[in-house]
Amino acid sequence: MAGRLVVAALLLFMTLPTVVVIVASFNATAILSFPPQGVSLRWYENALTYPQFRKAAVNSVIVTAASALLALPVGTAAALALVRHRPRAATALNAMLLSPLVIPGVAAGLGFLIVAAGLGLLQSRWILIVAHVVLVLPFVVRSVAVSVANLDPMLERAAASLGASPWRAFRRVTLPLLRPGLFAALLFAVIVSMNEFVVSLFISTRVNEILPVAMFTYVVNYTDPTMAALSTLFIAATFVVVFVADRLLDLSRIFQIGGRH
Amino acid sequence: MRGTARPSGLPAFLLLAPSLLVLAIFAVALGALFQFAFLEFIPGSLKTGGLTDKNFRAVLAPQYLRYIWDTVVLSAATTVLALVASYPIAYALARAESRRLRSLLLVLTLAPFFTGAIVRTYAWMLVLGSSFITWPVKLLFEPSGVLVGLVHFSMPTMILILAAAISHVDTTYERAAASLGASPRRIFWRVTLPLTMPGVASGSLVVFAWTFSAFPTPELLGGGKVKMIANVVKDLALDSFNWPGSAAFAAVALVLTLGLLALLGRAIGTRGV
Amino acid sequence: MMARTVVQLERVTKSYGAVRALDAIELAVYEGELLSLLGPSGCGKTTTLNVIAGFVEPDAGRVSIDGSDVTAVPAYRRGLGVVFQSYALFPHMTVGDNVAFGLRERGMSRRDAATRVGEALALVRLPGMADARPQQLSGGMQQRVALARALVIRPRVLLLDEPLAALDKKLREDMRAELRDIQKTVGITTIFVTHDQHEALGLSDRIAVMNAGRIEQLGVPREIYERPATRFVADFIGASSVLTARVLDGQTVELPGGLRLAVDLGRPLEPGRTVELIVRPERVQLGGAGGNAMAATVASVMYLGDHTEVRVTLAGGLRILAAVRGAVALNAGDAITVAIAPDAFLVPGERPAGEGRG
Repeated sequence: MAGRLVVAALLLFMTLPTVVVIVASFNATAILSFPPQGVSLRWYENALTYPQFRKAAVNSVIVTAASALLALPVGTAAALALVRHRPRAATALNAMLLSPLVIPGVAAGLGFLIVAAGLGLLQSRWILIVAHVVLVLPFVVRSVAVSVANLDPMLERAAASLGASPWRAFRRVTLPLLRPGLFAALLFAVIVSMNEFVVSLFISTRVNEILPVAMFTYVVNYTDPTMAALSTLFIAATFVVVFVADRLLDLSRIFQIGGRH
Repeated sequence: MRGTARPSGLPAFLLLAPSLLVLAIFAVALGALFQFAFLEFIPGSLKTGGLTDKNFRAVLAPQYLRYIWDTVVLSAATTVLALVASYPIAYALARAESRRLRSLLLVLTLAPFFTGAIVRTYAWMLVLGSSFITWPVKLLFEPSGVLVGLVHFSMPTMILILAAAISHVDTTYERAAASLGASPRRIFWRVTLPLTMPGVASGSLVVFAWTFSAFPTPELLGGGKVKMIANVVKDLALDSFNWPGSAAFAAVALVLTLGLLALLGRAIGTRGV
Repeated sequence: MMARTVVQLERVTKSYGAVRALDAIELAVYEGELLSLLGPSGCGKTTTLNVIAGFVEPDAGRVSIDGSDVTAVPAYRRGLGVVFQSYALFPHMTVGDNVAFGLRERGMSRRDAATRVGEALALVRLPGMADARPQQLSGGMQQRVALARALVIRPRVLLLDEPLAALDKKLREDMRAELRDIQKTVGITTIFVTHDQHEALGLSDRIAVMNAGRIEQLGVPREIYERPATRFVADFIGASSVLTARVLDGQTVELPGGLRLAVDLGRPLEPGRTVELIVRPERVQLGGAGGNAMAATVASVMYLGDHTEVRVTLAGGLRILAAVRGAVALNAGDAITVAIAPDAFLVPGERPAGEGRG
């Protein structure tokens, strides 16, 4: 069918860059050629031993872990308040919480740069962590809010009628049922933070820079396929995470796609 | 009768306090940006002078206005192309019969979404500049190449929003139209597309806004020849150390983005993004 | 009947914005009885239940259980059993863990709880189902689990919020009988919310008919059906015809078309007044001899198996609903005679002064 061909062609367009990167990463020569002239792992070795990449990887892990673990409880509390209590200013609050999604990255980045310079935090990971919490918070609030909205409020009433205090009802009923939403939120937070680039570029120095910033600097300065190797590792890791997440959580439900389940 | 009559647990303001603190920090950063936009740049120094509107007058200089215009044109073209290219995939995703097919489509769609800007843009540098694919026209470091990268970058977002909208359209409507004698093509134009207009609207809105402040794609695929607003902000801030000038430009970008979103949102009648 | 009061509501009022959900409700529920709150949706019956359970805080008024004021006591300290319309079984727990939830919250050991859970599941005729997941059970079985979960904590009062509404007709009727059996066996004071008059008439010791945040009538089922206090109650309980008539003398009224009817209410009517006469469909005789015979035309005939509903139009254009056992050989347009015995009319009791709304 013509429709299927169109979809297939568009999917090819979407996956083409990924395929080219993977092929390039195994190329034996520094200049790309097709078909590849020999297979080699030297670019992987390069990528994994390049000191600035190693340093940036450590920074990335610290910044991502810290910002995700901070944003998760903060965003969960906000989602509970927004969905359950429906505060009078819910619409405005919701818009404010999601605003980091639409504020241009360069504006946020320059703003954080000016603040960091004023506070003498330019070499610190803290400024990166704070910025990342701001940037991943919308994703956490969204995914947890969907879970909270799908939770039958009668379940908490049932727990109360059986003698559970609000805290006990939260621990024994609400929290276990929110687990898929919390897991999805954590996943989003990790992926968004791990890949964040624009804002981080403004507040990174050689000391505290995270991996995407180091990769950018490398691409600007060198043309060899070391970046292809590192990119392939990134792509592989992402595919595994997304695949596992889909298995565990049924992503189509989180994005509200497909038939009613 | 109401589900929220006596919500259990902590009061709303306590639950909201931590996120309000985070938002306050963000507000301070944006406030600092606007403050710097009105301070005088002292060349060769990060110190600033007194209040001035010079920075904004500089934004209006012809060479900078051109960048703003280029940004608008590229964003509009990206939105239209991404919409056309995303709808078929979104439809296939939303109407996939088996869970396995849906998962496959979803993973293929989401993977680039989760791969990050640098990896994706680098990949396009390889594709557009490679020696083994001969493109009919030069693409790398040209506006057309930047456009390809921007469309690719926008598609996952567009697909997700459209697929959610299409899923919400009950297939009964399509069956009803078919029972009334409408051909599949007519069904699409008369029933499915009109019913998914809210998704089309919000998808276009989000993509336009994101593209308007795109940075890595024009930075790497434009090679310094093609510049959008964000690239100018970065050049001024990180290469010329002209923070006030850069801040003015970023402030203009921010106000334009939010203004466009508000305007489009009102015109289409959706409640924000 | 006049046993001691278990639940007492005194002038309980609750508003949602401009909507008055409960308007100074007064209600006493007695030891061991099953009291139904009956009314259309939005009448305040569920809000009343939620106020008793402690899920909704009243704006004014007092809720007492066993004579002590519990208005400010949170739901989890009231010790009442609640069965929800959606059952609200915890989806992440087994049937056994669901039933054990309340016992564990009371600090009972896992072993003791297991014994009690077994007994409770046996009571609702689901023995050995403790390890099943709620989602695997049919609606009727989930219903029983919800009942077992509420009963196992030996609550002071059992509150049922439309517990049968989600079941299909046949199952609903079976469960109705079973619910009544269990309630009698346990002997627990029960408050039952429903919009289904048959359910209320069949199950209850007493019924409170609610409308617009008020209790319109409180009484035993027969009283509610045979002596409706208001037109609303007459209308809501049983499909009835309502005739507006002017009283000529103590025993005679005149309909708008000029038709005169003899009426015997066991007390004389006040001449000159306008009254609303209510006629139950089973009291309208078709082709009848007997009192008040009137010429009529058949408007529609609806065969319903055990009975047939016939709508007839009187000479003045008034419509009356009649119910006949079995089938009838009538068609729309047929001319017939209908008769209504003088003692078949009901006149709703007058409302107390100052209560003119509804």
